[in-house]
Amino acid sequence: MNPLPILRSIPSHASRVSVIALHAFTQLVRMKVFYFLGFFAVILIASNFFNLPQHEGPESAGVNILRSIKSWSLGAMTLFSVVLSIVATALLLPKDVEDRTLYTILAKPVPRLDYLAGKLIGVLLLIFVSLALMDILMTVILHLRTNMVLADQVAAAEARGWPAGDIQILKSDILAQGPTASLQGAVFSVFLRSTIIASLALLISTFSSSTLFTTIISFLIYFIGHFQADARAAYFSQEAGTSDGWFTKMISLLVALILPDFQIFNVIDAVIEGQVMPVLILGKLTLIGLFYAVFYVIASWFIFAKKEF
Amino acid sequence: MTDSLPAVEIRNLVKDFKTSFKRQPLRAVDDVSIRIMPGEVYGLIGPNGSGKSTTMKALLGLVAPTSGQCSIFGKDSMKVDSRNEVGFLPENPYFYKHLSGEETLKFYGKLCGIKGKALNERVAELLALVDLKEASHRRIGGYSKGMLQRIGLAQALIQEPRLVILDEPTAGVDPIGSWEIRDLIFKLRARGITVFLCSHLLEQVQEVCDHVGIIFRGKMVKEGKLEDLIAIEDQTELIMRNASPELVANIERMIIEDGQAQLVRSGRPRTTLERLFLRETQKQETSKSQSK
Amino acid sequence: MNQWRKYMILCFAVLMAGALRLPFERTLTVELQQANLLPAKLEVKTGARIGQTFSAVSLGGLRTLVATFLNLRAFAFFSEQRWEDVAESYDTIVDLAPRTRYYWDTGSWHQAYNAASYYLYESDLPPLRRKLAWRESILKGRDFLERAIQNNPDDWQLLEALGFLLSDANKIAAFGSPGESYEKAYEAYKAAVDTGNARAFTERAALYSLARVPGRETEALTLARKVEKDLDHAGTPTLYGLLYVLEYYPDPNQDVMKLVDTIFESRKQAYEILGNQWLRTRDHFPVHGIARAITLLEAELQVSEAQSVLKHKLQSPMNPEEEF
Repeated sequence: MNPLPILRSIPSHASRVSVIALHAFTQLVRMKVFYFLGFFAVILIASNFFNLPQHEGPESAGVNILRSIKSWSLGAMTLFSVVLSIVATALLLPKDVEDRTLYTILAKPVPRLDYLAGKLIGVLLLIFVSLALMDILMTVILHLRTNMVLADQVAAAEARGWPAGDIQILKSDILAQGPTASLQGAVFSVFLRSTIIASLALLISTFSSSTLFTTIISFLIYFIGHFQADARAAYFSQEAGTSDGWFTKMISLLVALILPDFQIFNVIDAVIEGQVMPVLILGKLTLIGLFYAVFYVIASWFIFAKKEF
Repeated sequence: MTDSLPAVEIRNLVKDFKTSFKRQPLRAVDDVSIRIMPGEVYGLIGPNGSGKSTTMKALLGLVAPTSGQCSIFGKDSMKVDSRNEVGFLPENPYFYKHLSGEETLKFYGKLCGIKGKALNERVAELLALVDLKEASHRRIGGYSKGMLQRIGLAQALIQEPRLVILDEPTAGVDPIGSWEIRDLIFKLRARGITVFLCSHLLEQVQEVCDHVGIIFRGKMVKEGKLEDLIAIEDQTELIMRNASPELVANIERMIIEDGQAQLVRSGRPRTTLERLFLRETQKQETSKSQSK
Repeated sequence: MNQWRKYMILCFAVLMAGALRLPFERTLTVELQQANLLPAKLEVKTGARIGQTFSAVSLGGLRTLVATFLNLRAFAFFSEQRWEDVAESYDTIVDLAPRTRYYWDTGSWHQAYNAASYYLYESDLPPLRRKLAWRESILKGRDFLERAIQNNPDDWQLLEALGFLLSDANKIAAFGSPGESYEKAYEAYKAAVDTGNARAFTERAALYSLARVPGRETEALTLARKVEKDLDHAGTPTLYGLLYVLEYYPDPNQDVMKLVDTIFESRKQAYEILGNQWLRTRDHFPVHGIARAITLLEAELQVSEAQSVLKHKLQSPMNPEEEF
């Protein structure tokens, strides 16, 4: 065997990041995270068959079930993605330090930025795959159910002798509650939101001393972040000049500058209710998500780069 | 020829750690210099908390020196590319429990940019080297301490580094496991790989190392070739096998009769290194208490 | 020392990044509100309701699910006839899901119809209390629908529901003057038609309301002619009855039988329809020229004077003073 190093091409950052990301992904998978998907399937199928005691006129019959399927699905996706993006990110980094596996990784020719980006992408990959699977299940069930509702309703309308124009209106009303493109956009928004949360948790975990601290602070920021938009509105709406308003104004500004705006992701709820999400808006949300993720990763690296273990 | 470059060059390394709420920072490493040439097996010995691990971490860029410099084959330790030529086994390593032995090696191999067939071959070769072929598909969570150390060593060797750094390679390992690891270090030496290890188990260091440094309270107190360090100029040692008590008595009598020579000690051989170590550290203690 | 400088730089960078994204997020929020993807800050909430808004905002992604549960709870309250709790539940529900018609519709219906008839027939309260509670429930239901429309201005079905409530013969007494109420109902129906999504029935309903607004007969006639022209199948008796009344109204001296012949298929049919309309006193339909036509038609169809529709006992319109 040749003791001298074999000449190798220096591996690119991308391949190293992907190695770490795939590893983090496997790690989470082997932590049985995917069991949640089984749970999700049960919820979804149950939401499909449960006939909840509520008032249904002949016109709304069935449409409520469609909304219920969407509510359950996206609700479960929200919980899963938010909890996982915080907990998994908060867990993976300190775990590596504690188990000293970090030493063995950083003792290899691995830049620390690659390590951070890899971990984050691993978590996001897991969330993405999970959301995609849930999305497929939701879409299939919603599709089947929408067709059933549509057939029932149209048959009933025809029996009542509705004019063709009215039936057309009924059809488009029901289809708006079915598996629309906007609904896919909403699922993607769930993913975008978890991208922001996960990268934020990554930043916090680079200077926090415990997983618990990271988790709590991340959840807190997630919660308060929903009111960032209100703080921002308060800053812009208040009249300057009055001495009383000045302090509040500055506090509002500070909140608006520091916290991410999670309220914009409440579009998810509007889409569940049947609103249409234009592609342009989804594009802008993506842009915002990317901005946060890139900024938080660079900030994490800034703290992590010279950190000592 | 790169061999003219030292494998490890630590120059005047000082490392302070901030202790919370205390003005005085804790000096973990104080002006330590070490130079290891390629092919050497260097043992750094010292009690727990003497700065061994910190020195190694500084060499790997895991901590930044307060002052001084570390380099590996001439490359600054704070730079990522210095890590191309080095393998590291930390003290009490835990690897990802969810991976099998083989997956672990593949993971580290990929981090070093090894791919495909080359990676598979390398992994198989290392598993054979550390004698973990049979356990290669088992999850690391079920490995014994000795197996962990061996997979750790294999991991350190994955990219065929010219330098291997081992932090307490036999800590907590049973005698047989310890013997196996020592055997592995011999194999590395035979291949011309530079080894830098630290330990507080002196006997072991004496067995495998050709250079040693003694570090105590962050300071290098003695350094050099093992043979030179432990040889005592005016003493001669006889080590015999199957010597009868009568023979020993005869020899002792002859020494007394000689007049010039003096019998210092007789009995079973001891760890001479241990003696040296104790003497050196005690010397430090007394000089310190005197200066106060 | 180094560490502190690092954190200072980080804080500064966070603020700078915030300043960079702030304008973008601000315009995006407006855009989302315009696209009905975020609730516009229509209602500046009073102190009591801030708590609700708080949870509504922070439950992002889970709001409709929570609304589903609250809807179940509201149903339980409804079964126990706890109307206050039903109302409160729906206040919260629509905060969570402001764009789901079903919740607005059901919430309003519980108050204006279920609670109102409970107070009308079943409550043990003294009559005056029942009357007040009845009226209050209906107004609450109306108020809820009006809020619904504020939040969903494009929803023709909510507008239609409001029109329906305002022109309901059993409710109209709660709103004060019937004329004003029908006028409001007409406006609601018309707004529904103007969304462009409403069913054909909605425009007829608009006509029925407009026809009952004193002083707007000319407009009603124009609308009635349009509705009749747009029909792709036979119209309803009410439409033809109103068409007769409205055509008659501007020129009381015209030949009534000629008018009857242009509108109705036969004189027998005319007699049935106009007779019915004469009897529908609870609905406040206009009756211009109907008595004259009935007299002539009865003469022609040989209806005895004793059996004359004009001799029938008329039902008085809904009057709370008499009901309680």
